[in-house]
Amino acid sequence: MFRPTRRAALLGSLATPFLARTALAQAKEPIRLGTLTPLTGAGGSYGPAMVKAARAVADAINAAGGVNGRRIELQSEDDETNPDAGVRAARKLIDVGKVSAILGTWASAVTTAVAPLCWESRTMLFTVSGADSITKLPHNGYIIRTQPNTELQSMRAASYLAEGGAKRVFALSAQTPFAVDSYNRLAAVLKERGSEAVGDVVYDASKTSFRSEVDQALRAKPDALFLNGYTPDVTVILRELYRAGYEGKKFTFGYAANAKMLESLPPEVTEGLISFSPSPDPGSPAYAAVKQALGTDTPDTYSCQIHDHVSLVALAVAKAGDASGAAIHDAVRTISQGGGAKIGSALDGLKALAAGQDVNYEGASGPCDFTERGDIEGCKFRFEQVRAGKITLLSVS
Amino acid sequence: MENYLLAMAVFAGLYALMALGLNVIWGLAGMVNLGLAGFFAVGAYASALLTVRLGWPIPVGWVAAAVAAAAVGVLVALVTARLRGDYLAIVTLGFSEVVRLLASNEIWLTGGTDGISGIPGPGRAALSPISYNLLYAGLVWAAVAVVGALLARLSNAPFGRVLRAIREDEMVAAVAGKRTLLFKVQAFAVGAGVLGLAGGLYAHFNAYVAPDAFQPLVTIYVVLALTAGGTGRMAGAVLGAVLVVALQEGTRFGADLVPGVSPVQAAALRAGTIGAALIMVLHLRPNGVLPEFSRRYGGPT
Amino acid sequence: MLADALQLLLNGLMAGAVLAVPAIGFTAIYAVLRFPNFAVGGMATVGAYAGWVANTRLGWPAPAALAVAFAAGAAAGLASDRVALRALRPSRGGAGGALAAAIASVALNIVIENAVRFVWGNDPRGYDLPVYRDWRMMGLRAGPQQLENAALAAAAMAAVFLFLGFTRTGRMMRAVADNPQLASLKGIDAGRVAALATGLGMGLAGFGGMLIGLDTSIDPLTGFRVMLSVFAAAVVGGLGSVPGAVLGAFVVGVGEELSLLALPPSYRTAVGFAAILLVLSFRPRGLLGERAY
Repeated sequence: MFRPTRRAALLGSLATPFLARTALAQAKEPIRLGTLTPLTGAGGSYGPAMVKAARAVADAINAAGGVNGRRIELQSEDDETNPDAGVRAARKLIDVGKVSAILGTWASAVTTAVAPLCWESRTMLFTVSGADSITKLPHNGYIIRTQPNTELQSMRAASYLAEGGAKRVFALSAQTPFAVDSYNRLAAVLKERGSEAVGDVVYDASKTSFRSEVDQALRAKPDALFLNGYTPDVTVILRELYRAGYEGKKFTFGYAANAKMLESLPPEVTEGLISFSPSPDPGSPAYAAVKQALGTDTPDTYSCQIHDHVSLVALAVAKAGDASGAAIHDAVRTISQGGGAKIGSALDGLKALAAGQDVNYEGASGPCDFTERGDIEGCKFRFEQVRAGKITLLSVS
Repeated sequence: MENYLLAMAVFAGLYALMALGLNVIWGLAGMVNLGLAGFFAVGAYASALLTVRLGWPIPVGWVAAAVAAAAVGVLVALVTARLRGDYLAIVTLGFSEVVRLLASNEIWLTGGTDGISGIPGPGRAALSPISYNLLYAGLVWAAVAVVGALLARLSNAPFGRVLRAIREDEMVAAVAGKRTLLFKVQAFAVGAGVLGLAGGLYAHFNAYVAPDAFQPLVTIYVVLALTAGGTGRMAGAVLGAVLVVALQEGTRFGADLVPGVSPVQAAALRAGTIGAALIMVLHLRPNGVLPEFSRRYGGPT
Repeated sequence: MLADALQLLLNGLMAGAVLAVPAIGFTAIYAVLRFPNFAVGGMATVGAYAGWVANTRLGWPAPAALAVAFAAGAAAGLASDRVALRALRPSRGGAGGALAAAIASVALNIVIENAVRFVWGNDPRGYDLPVYRDWRMMGLRAGPQQLENAALAAAAMAAVFLFLGFTRTGRMMRAVADNPQLASLKGIDAGRVAALATGLGMGLAGFGGMLIGLDTSIDPLTGFRVMLSVFAAAVVGGLGSVPGAVLGAFVVGVGEELSLLALPPSYRTAVGFAAILLVLSFRPRGLLGERAY
């Protein structure tokens, strides 16, 4: 039987703090992540909720012991919906905040401007921007996007509309990088299905009134309107459509028709509005987790996506044992897709990884499987309709 | 941290160039020009398009940026020749907005709101990010020094004196035999050229231009920079620019100091603080921190 | 084609009527204080939110909420003017000249926008008022809300004209605007008139802000978005001229709408400015020139 001598005990007690400190030092080093979202400017209605969602999942992970004992430290900056402000904020996050990943960039111009900084400094960039050109940049795998690109979205929108019986579809678009592309694709798919795109109007989203644009749309006698804009302008357009007595179908993106918008409009104005968002399988545990974390039955798509961003990073760090941007870059696809056990929450995934298993994270915004270029590899869409001022689920396909 | 500070130094330098350009048009010649973002955009897009689409070398792009913006400046000056004060202000602001709208809508030329990415930078591929930032900061501030010195020279030369005379009282200057229109157009051309150069330098540093970067807010900050720093003096322009960028970035760090506010509130506090600080500077030094030297001509009441 | 043009004209007239209210405020302040006070934009936002609080939290109907919007705009305008702008005004011999006050008012706008954002966040808010279907007459479409807004705007304008033309205080304001030295010789208290002009102008801005919000929705950027058009309207009509501001607002409003006959809607703002340039090329001091009345 080993009996510790007093000397051994003394030596041991001297050594322990050193050992403990080095191990503790390693463990104490937090995982630094940055959110870069629009808190002011034209996109200002989206940023705050995204930060809240990101913090919620980071807090949950930290409360459960962190990633291998390491805390997630989330820094948040405002990109002011402006590419230059975004670049300066990103610089601060990367050079001063020393983050390994930047999450949640929203405006396509901000994402495109910030991307070179990220790939040059080997910082991962997770974005919710939809412009096709973003993943075509030479980013070497340092961009991952959880928002379906324009091509995918327009195709699904067109199929859904055609299947629903719409014959004459008119598009009202805000001036964005994908306004023209999405209309062209919409028109092509509609034509294949025997329907028709009867015209589009690209409006200046900073205006306060869209009467004449709506007039122009209605002159083409559409039976379905595709509202390709964001919450502030779509809110006004819905009002205008109601006033003009339009009774046809109204179709928009889920990010435009969020709960906040519905609160600010009377139910008769939003009645029947159909929206679609990228979606996980029904009954997804990740989606349930976001609902619970945000306290709502209809979390907006951006919150779901940034939830997935944080979760993916946490799992990648756990798998790689290293929190640097490069490590996340290498490890992320090993936990987001492939043959591992399907898990729907970062907490479950962390436990599984700790037990030596492989995982495949299925997120709140979709299966979170990414191509080489960073686009999502196909996802389901959730189609919802507004009835009596509330969002109700129609189908997931 | 050094990388960040270097990058901020580049931005401060770009703002300084813009303030210098504005100083020629507004500070010296008294022409209220709110179209800064427009000339800046013309320069940026000119340089971007020539280097990305036609493969021209970067320094040529910069020269082209200055020339293109100067040419546009001449046009604007001619069109607005009869306008004074706030009337000139609204038209130049309109010009700036038209440039932004053209950039957003004419996708065939400018890529629309997608912008032009992948703009080459001198030695960017070969250097590490921090070396590149160091190089560029040196480049931009060298430009500031050269342009500033040249403009200071100009300001003290007869050209500058005529401009000031026009500023104080155009009628008198005309009566004194000076061809005021010619001088005004020249002032516009010089100022716009400097703004265009700033645009070209910006495009190659950022590697990306998009219409959203040329909103009226940019103009507002440059005007604030010049007013706070000291209208009329070149050194004042540079100082004001550094002050504005320091405020914009410094307040980022301050946000962490205020507990218990949500992110959007922190962002609002930050932007509000910048505005409040600038108001304070104006109160303490209404003519700017470095006011113009001589008030020989008598100030307006 | 004619029907389309008429509809656009109608839309433009109604938009112009609403724009005229803050434009009058802006130009009235210029007339008396001789500097462009861009904080009018911020006060439009303040008024819109104040009216919203009265309407949704206190349950007040639109007219009462509009009165609150006016009062809030006036009060906030006076307070912020006192703190931030008064010392810089040219009429007080402010060392910076007209420039310093104007620039400070832009910075003030930034402060106010963010104060509103701090309290209420960025989400768009709607008034608790029913949305009605449009009326159709002779192939033209006009909304009851738009007509009501136009009527309210007209009432506000009439009130301002009556005030300026027939009341003692109004005449004092005009006197100071016309000829400050003479007015002070006649014993008119310039300080009081200045406060009056600011209060009136900012109150109108707040009122106008809520009118715009009634039609659409409000967020911290509401006033900022409209500031450009307000400035344009005042300049086109002739800075300092109240009827000019009204005329200018209609020119800007109608010009932007009619432009849709030839150009895509994404260029609307550009056309607004082109119209301004056109007017100013022929009348460099605005349509009605720089007069107070």
